[in-house]
Amino acid sequence: MVLELQKPRPIWQIMFSTHHTDVGLLYLITSIGFLFLGGALALIIRAELFLPGAQIIGDAMTFNRIFTVHGTTLIFLFILPFASSVGNYFVPIMVRYKDMAYPKLNAIAFWMIPPGGALIWLGFADFTWYATPPYSIISAPGPAADMWIFGLKILGISSVLGAINFIVTILKCKHPDMSIGQVPLLAWSFLSSSLIILVAIPTFAAALLMLLTDRLGVSGFFNPAMGGDPIAYAHLFWFTFHPEVYVLVIPAIGMMYEIIPRFSRKPIHSYNSGIFAFVLLSIVGFSSWAHHMYATGMSFTEKTVFMVGTLAAVPASALHVFNFVATMWNGRIKFSTPMMWAVGGIALFFSAGAGGVANAAMPLDFQTHDSYWVVGHFHLFVMGTIAFGSFGFLYYMYPYVTGRMYNEALGKVHFALSFIGTVLVFFTQHVLGLYGMPRRIFDYPPIPEWIAMNQIASVGAMIIGISMVIFLANIIHSAGKGKLADTDDPFGVGGKYYYPFEAKNPSH
Amino acid sequence: MSGHSNWPEWIYVAVVISLMCWVGAEAWQAERLVEHVPADAEIIKVTGQQWFWTFEHEDGTKEIGELHVESGKAYKFEIHSKDVIHAFNIHDYVVLMDAVPGRVNTVWFAPTDVGEHDIQCREYCGLIHYNMRGTLIVEEPSH
Amino acid sequence: MKSIVGLFLVLAVLIVVPAVDLVFAAGDEPGEYLDRRVVIWNLFFRMMTIAFVVGAVVSGTMIWQVWRFRESHPKAKPTPYEGTDW
Repeated sequence: MVLELQKPRPIWQIMFSTHHTDVGLLYLITSIGFLFLGGALALIIRAELFLPGAQIIGDAMTFNRIFTVHGTTLIFLFILPFASSVGNYFVPIMVRYKDMAYPKLNAIAFWMIPPGGALIWLGFADFTWYATPPYSIISAPGPAADMWIFGLKILGISSVLGAINFIVTILKCKHPDMSIGQVPLLAWSFLSSSLIILVAIPTFAAALLMLLTDRLGVSGFFNPAMGGDPIAYAHLFWFTFHPEVYVLVIPAIGMMYEIIPRFSRKPIHSYNSGIFAFVLLSIVGFSSWAHHMYATGMSFTEKTVFMVGTLAAVPASALHVFNFVATMWNGRIKFSTPMMWAVGGIALFFSAGAGGVANAAMPLDFQTHDSYWVVGHFHLFVMGTIAFGSFGFLYYMYPYVTGRMYNEALGKVHFALSFIGTVLVFFTQHVLGLYGMPRRIFDYPPIPEWIAMNQIASVGAMIIGISMVIFLANIIHSAGKGKLADTDDPFGVGGKYYYPFEAKNPSH
Repeated sequence: MSGHSNWPEWIYVAVVISLMCWVGAEAWQAERLVEHVPADAEIIKVTGQQWFWTFEHEDGTKEIGELHVESGKAYKFEIHSKDVIHAFNIHDYVVLMDAVPGRVNTVWFAPTDVGEHDIQCREYCGLIHYNMRGTLIVEEPSH
Repeated sequence: MKSIVGLFLVLAVLIVVPAVDLVFAAGDEPGEYLDRRVVIWNLFFRMMTIAFVVGAVVSGTMIWQVWRFRESHPKAKPTPYEGTDW
């Protein structure tokens, strides 16, 4: 346990530590902090869009900055660091090694997150998390834009260093008696996502550098006025960021692979299918990037190729859904908080995927591109699947990390309100997109259907906000004053709570 | 590893793959139909810039913010941009195509009913992206 | 029973395909132009039908199994793995 508030450790011991449990804790606290910052921005956006006209935000530029920082924060400063926290804490335990392969590099990778985050927040750029040129070159105000570019550069390097660490730890440092076919699925999920990161991130790193030199005027990669092509940036960006969405979702699915078998009191239905699905998705995920670019004027053949690549990734994801359903079948399921989050997450994962298949069909992109359908779709993934899996796992590992139990009733209230809120916001936004409302707009014409759906979405967002406040209160209060947990079986489900190899933190 | 029979999983995967094949085939067919531009479509040059749309008809007539067309005729839009990426969108007619500086994108449609429809920008282009709007006015044919 | 209905729904939807093709074989003369709205929305509604049928099957299965295999169900019995370190 690294977070026993009744016997607090000196803060500098945690901050200067290189032990994987402490680095995991640092990632956890940072990611939760940014979750609330990014989430607050979301509530401001939804409050503004409650009605046409300006509500609480005075001008369009502020609104544009807010949605840019909202997206950038939640992806790069919440989802990725949260996954890193889980991976750092548990991967060495799962492969029965004493720490990550390179502990000092691990700590360095973490400490790049706060400066990256600071650059993004102090800059507050306005060009969307996508930073598309030529706008980001010729029109986006600096120094915000340049700070964003530097911030993301640093975060990208942090990601790559973490990925190297995971790959070497899992492949080279696992216990000699453990074959790769015995490594738990959660560790496999980190292996897959780390391999994707190694292949995908360098492309974006190059694109960022080119964007910066374009902004400085010394190059013309993406600036038509200097002979460049903005679509080249789109290819580089999406070549990274389509696989990146699999980097985001694969660890969350891995977390569900921990929770669902445990609470169904059965082992996973097919471990081999799980591995196959992770590896297949990692590879096939690289074949679909330009489905984000259907509207840029690509030829019919190009669009067809990427549609096929997109559809090819669906069976891999479907395998996970089957695995989870088959695991729960004939089980004796205890619906503690972690299990509720995992099962709710699977249901929303399916809906997100179904909407995505509709989007992948080329002609339907004419209806949905850059509309609120897309916003609803990807939020069902990042909130409905990834955040739900993450919250479930956070509750699951809570007794292990703190030695105490959180309040179960409040945990279930957090889930129920979040689920209702998520459905209200993001399902509604699919319909809103079909009615034509574009993304990234500060204000909209007083079309009655748009107003009604925006209001439903805003109410849903407020419900999620309330649930998050309950969550924060629960985890903070319980860390200090919660009931002491039975660390062998805190949830009363039987079996081994965790892997036989205990984490030995040298500072304890 | 899996000592139990797993035929349900194989059937499930087969169903998923066949669904994806169906989606792909349908989408391919629909796109093929939709991308076929009639030979006699009248060309309208659309120019997007921060933050308004301008139009130029074949006969040289220019319009700003409003586009007058006739029902029953086919029109092909040649879409340009003067500065950053925009996207020309007439949602009611499912017309959507990016305006990318340095290239010309085309999309066509054939309006059928008289009426007015919104034109909007569907790609973030800065401060007044949210209000880069116009009106499509479909009129009776003049002859 | 559910799967038969689903199957027939799917087949009915698929039959619409050749029909659409015939009706909207695009011509190049005024009056014969394709209405892109119709083609696109038609495809959309057909895909949504399939998606909601599949969704009903998947979520129906999940809802049923969450109800049937909950530990408080009267017929709930321990799994063969309980008592071991699964």
